[in-house]
Amino acid sequence: MVALLRTGRRPWVEYAELVEQLGSATAALEHEASAEREPGAQTTLIPDRRESVDELVPHATADLEHWDAQGMRLVTVLDPDYPPNLRAVHDRPPILFIAGNITRGDAKAVAVVGARKATEVGIEQASQIAEHLTRTGYTVVSGLAAGIDTAAHTAALNNDGRTLAVIGTGLTRVYPPQNHALQRRIADDCAVISQFWPDAPPTKRSFPMRNATMSGIALATVVVEASETSGARTQARLALAHGRPVFLTKTLVEKQPWAQQIVERPGTHVIHTPAEITTALERLIAPGTLVA
Amino acid sequence: MPTVGELSALYENVLLGPRRGPDVCATCFNFTAGYARCWACAYGHPALDAVAPISYSIAREQLHHALASYKRLNGDVARRLQAILAAILWRFLVLHESCVATAANTNTNIFDLVTTVPSGDPTRDHGHPLRNIVGELVAPTRERYHRLLRRTDAQTGPRSFNPHKFEAIRRLDGPAVLLIDDTWTTGASAQSAAAALKAAGAGRVAAVVIGRHLNREWHENDRRIRGIARPFEWQACALCAKPVGSPPLSG
Repeated sequence: MVALLRTGRRPWVEYAELVEQLGSATAALEHEASAEREPGAQTTLIPDRRESVDELVPHATADLEHWDAQGMRLVTVLDPDYPPNLRAVHDRPPILFIAGNITRGDAKAVAVVGARKATEVGIEQASQIAEHLTRTGYTVVSGLAAGIDTAAHTAALNNDGRTLAVIGTGLTRVYPPQNHALQRRIADDCAVISQFWPDAPPTKRSFPMRNATMSGIALATVVVEASETSGARTQARLALAHGRPVFLTKTLVEKQPWAQQIVERPGTHVIHTPAEITTALERLIAPGTLVA
Repeated sequence: MPTVGELSALYENVLLGPRRGPDVCATCFNFTAGYARCWACAYGHPALDAVAPISYSIAREQLHHALASYKRLNGDVARRLQAILAAILWRFLVLHESCVATAANTNTNIFDLVTTVPSGDPTRDHGHPLRNIVGELVAPTRERYHRLLRRTDAQTGPRSFNPHKFEAIRRLDGPAVLLIDDTWTTGASAQSAAAALKAAGAGRVAAVVIGRHLNREWHENDRRIRGIARPFEWQACALCAKPVGSPPLSG
């Protein structure tokens, strides 16, 4: 899979599709190589200087050993321990790097996101929501940013709950730097997850991609406090596009025009108390017969 | 227990309702480049008396992925996707089965029997999730669902019409049959299934499909897809909605 991605000829999500259809990364690599040999496949005048498959596979093996030595595990969309909810969204990443361990129970997860520059009220709300989710058996997913994210992760850890950090850089980077200790703590107790190469720096595009992954891992997204330009707003939009419910706090909807607009859309709920999240969600995910 | 209303609402941001209009195929609602019917419908073998796609399904986007994943995945995720697709089908049929029956010229506003297009892969047909949806989960079809068709050994490409691709399991005595499928791409499968049903004695046969497949990259599809009203409107279906005018030029 690493070798396949290193060929770098398509958007990554197409590789996820390709390996799911063909059943293995090896088959996908052969598929790509044979497509290349077809007449007219050469689309540029400059000869392709990228590595051949024969070179890519040993390089990938060396990469894997190196990452493994650094405590990072690679999980592909074909592996049984790939987060199950994430499989069901169209923009699932083909691979995830994981520091720590994801458990089966982490499929029962809710994302709690919000502003980096949070108010005391926002921090308090995020903590209460994370604490409630923890007590009701949910894993709290967030993005390891300052403000709301930090409050959500911390409250989950302090209540002996599970929390997953989905980050917008490679795993060897720490962004923001002040969250270094928190990142270590989450990796030790739970898991830090990244869809980017381990040395990848933060970019303008990586954060929205991370928000899509975070929405995909979780059953629902809760937005606590977030401005017009925040990534949390992006995540609310992406979650709705995934067909996943979005919960907005009452105070967010009172203050933010974007929240007033999005609350008109199907799939959004305004919450007054943390318990309203789990009550609504339990109904939506309950097995059994549908009722009219 | 989730209700049909709340589960189907989750996909209201994902579904894209087809509408009649200029350059929209009069049979399958594909976008055309100035023709009344798309190539596949104009030069195909129409056996169906009406086709009602609930939504467009855009390549590599959420509905397309859900329509592949509900039968590919296992466990809770697959179960939840099946429940959502069942809720969509249920809500659509409660509101619009009569539109489909009218378009197909049946004598009553309800179909006598409901069946599914068998899986293209004969080994996967037994216990197929689509049969679970139509035969178990969706109350409006549950009592009328019968497995009427099976895949034959006929060698047929996935995108080509062949009246012998499927065969009826039993003779039919003129019932109006509603055929359900998850995806319509060229319609070859559904048309082949309809031909087999009619050969076995079915009266009127119509198809309801959840997703009418489209590629954004083809012709002006991207602009036309962006022009579709959102969120999804349950009260009107492809067959009963007023036609929309010429697509506005992109600005």
